Amino acid sequence: MDPFEKIERKRQARHRIRAQRDRAGRLKTRVVAISLICFALLWGVVFVQMATGNDPVLSEFSSTIAKGNGGRNRHAAKAVPAETDASTASEELEASEAGEAEEFEEFEAEPVEEEFVEPAEEEFFEAEAEAEPEEEVFVEEEPAPVTTSQS
Amino acid sequence: MSTEAHRSFDCFGGTATIHVRATSTARGEEAADLARAKLLDAHRRLSRFSEESELTLLNGDPRWEVPATPLLRALADAVALAGSRSGGLVDATLLDSIERAGYRDSLDGDPSITLAEALSSRAERAPGEPHPDRLWRSVGIDEADGTVIRPPGVKIDSGGIAKGLVADLVAEELREHRTFAVDCCGDIRIGGSAGQERRVRVDDPFGGGPVHELKLRDGAVATSGIGRRCWVGADGGAAHHILDPASGEPAFTGIVQVTALAPSALLAEVYAKAALLAGPERADEWLPHGGVVVRDDGEVDVIAAERPLTELAVAA
Repeated sequence: MDPFEKIERKRQARHRIRAQRDRAGRLKTRVVAISLICFALLWGVVFVQMATGNDPVLSEFSSTIAKGNGGRNRHAAKAVPAETDASTASEELEASEAGEAEEFEEFEAEPVEEEFVEPAEEEFFEAEAEAEPEEEVFVEEEPAPVTTSQS
Repeated sequence: MSTEAHRSFDCFGGTATIHVRATSTARGEEAADLARAKLLDAHRRLSRFSEESELTLLNGDPRWEVPATPLLRALADAVALAGSRSGGLVDATLLDSIERAGYRDSLDGDPSITLAEALSSRAERAPGEPHPDRLWRSVGIDEADGTVIRPPGVKIDSGGIAKGLVADLVAEELREHRTFAVDCCGDIRIGGSAGQERRVRVDDPFGGGPVHELKLRDGAVATSGIGRRCWVGADGGAAHHILDPASGEPAFTGIVQVTALAPSALLAEVYAKAALLAGPERADEWLPHGGVVVRDDGEVDVIAAERPLTELAVAA
């Protein structure tokens, strides 16, 4: 092989490598830029939603609370009898786990519903308001009048 | 919630009334019965119409210094107080003059002549004056020895001061209760821990409806007048039991009735009588806590208080 040809081939190989590296660099830059933009956009959407009060996560959570409250009590009730037999306890545990799974599936399956209730606080305040009239106002009767006449 | 207990009975030549509200109805009833018993006991011991009363025995005792019960000593002390607070117009040592005027026996019941007849039978009107001897100054007490000191022959008349004094003494026993009123024939002591106001109606001396109504929370009101005990005197003219100390004769001053307010029933009685004897021109000088004056012609003057009783309560 001609030595000048060898040199030329090496020069071309280095040129191709350099081009590849440039392309890779430009690709990386694009990826980073696009990632940053997507990230910012995503947070922007979340911020707008939160600012306007439309928090989809909270809506879901409240509806699952309304439906799953009994479940929570049931969990607590099931957690209590730890002193029973091991067999019955394990059975109960399996049953509770199955129940939990079912209930969890229920929670996941059911969509957010609009029958959103805020019973706790309202009922509490209503109960307070109703309790006030129970206080009786004690009013002593007026003393009997007297008449002063010549003694 | 307890109800107010009421007792009404004959006492001191008229009608006495007790009103008490305690923390329970039963306690109020018990307190009213106790107050009634005290009033009747005081009447029995201080009546000059009873020969066995402590007062009659004191008046007949020839000694200068006479052993006396606390009640009798309180009456003797009230004689000095009445004289000093009225400038001598209310003189409780004129018993002989009253009996000479015809008031020897109790005049319970309707007067023998009406007030209008009594007023028309006497044309002259003049204010009363203190007796020049001022015998009330010679009456004193010795608490340490438990005696009443006065010159023999000086007789104490309970008619002008005993009702107010006894109303105060009985009211002192009722002070702890929610409300009370001790009405000793028109001399009334009012009070109670509840601080409630009680309506007081002023009677019409001419027989009509009440001439005035006031409200009292803690204090006393008394009424003095010439219409309740009127009779025909020895000279054929009208007589009554409120004498001019200077002349010893029934006083016709132009006023027929005065109602006075005061911190105590004894003082109220003293002010009422002094204002009546002072006449229309100076009656208001004897009513520092306010009062009501009824004149011969039926005109009613309501005297405003220079020192209202509520101010006294705050100052106390």
